[in-house]
Amino acid sequence: MAFLNMFSRDKDQPTAPTADDRLSLVLSYQRSEIDEAKLKQFRIRLIELCDDFGFDVVGQVEVRPQSRGGDRTTVLCASIPVRVKQKN
Amino acid sequence: MKHESVAITITSGKGGVGKSTTVASVGLGLAQLGKKVCLVDTDIGLRKLDLMLGLENRIVYDLVDVIEGTGKLRQALVRHKEYPDLALLPAAQTRYKEEVTPAQIKQVVDELRNEFDYILIDSPAGIEGGFRNAIAAADRAILVVNPEIPSVRDSDRVIGLLEAADLKQIDLIVNRVQPGMVRDGDMLSVERVQNHLAINLLGIVPEDKRIIRSSNTGEPVILDQKSLAGKAFSNIARRINGEEVPFLELEESGLISRIKRLFHIASALN
Repeated sequence: MAFLNMFSRDKDQPTAPTADDRLSLVLSYQRSEIDEAKLKQFRIRLIELCDDFGFDVVGQVEVRPQSRGGDRTTVLCASIPVRVKQKN
Repeated sequence: MKHESVAITITSGKGGVGKSTTVASVGLGLAQLGKKVCLVDTDIGLRKLDLMLGLENRIVYDLVDVIEGTGKLRQALVRHKEYPDLALLPAAQTRYKEEVTPAQIKQVVDELRNEFDYILIDSPAGIEGGFRNAIAAADRAILVVNPEIPSVRDSDRVIGLLEAADLKQIDLIVNRVQPGMVRDGDMLSVERVQNHLAINLLGIVPEDKRIIRSSNTGEPVILDQKSLAGKAFSNIARRINGEEVPFLELEESGLISRIKRLFHIASALN
């Protein structure tokens, strides 16, 4: 069985994209000095903003900092599931 | 007329990435190209550049002696045995980094500019006072990075500090690359490291067991003609000197390599 495993090992999913993603995240946090409390406040403000513009937030708001190659900056990617508010 | 010279700080975010190995080999590489080179060890209290060059028994005066005036600069310079155009200004071993200021280092380096084409400053690891000393006199910087997340993260901070110090040219050497690990997804690729740090790539140096031997024998790996790392350092020296040199092919090619890969046999680089 061990012999057969030798041939199948190359078929494993590579982990490089994971390491790359992790590095991206680590650099994003470092560059923008973002902490979790700040991100939480940011999420709350986004929900308020959605309300102001007539959207109901219907799920988990995610804000994910991403390191951008080339100019060493951070991009904040927000995912906000919304529905247009029903008019009464 | 003032001698045209370039002072380059070789630095890193964390220790153990191969800075002193790089300084010793690149310095020798530049001397082999006929340049007058001085290596300045600013890692006060932890000197090791003398060991890398096999010059540990020749040290009488050091950098702190020169700064304090107890020794003259020409007395403190230790010439390499085979390449007399290569000199070392050693760090003090029994003193502390705090005893030296950036202005004092700058004064010493400015004096060295009269005689040498290249002054390579070996920086201590980290971002404390010793780092500020090492960059005070530099015209440009070379950042040595290993393809690992901690090394890249610390290097990212160092780039910020170098930019804040108004160092315009910052080049990257990715050291201790293991192509097999990159291929298997266990190590960041050089391309990704460069992409994240967004600075100019100056060289790629493979992991090489010969480097350990060279550190222990005091003969920089660049003198080992069989070593791929030595060849990589030689190319880096040529690039610093203005030549356009293609990057080394670190991967073996052909049928043998494919068979080795299939059976996960360690690369000849190791």
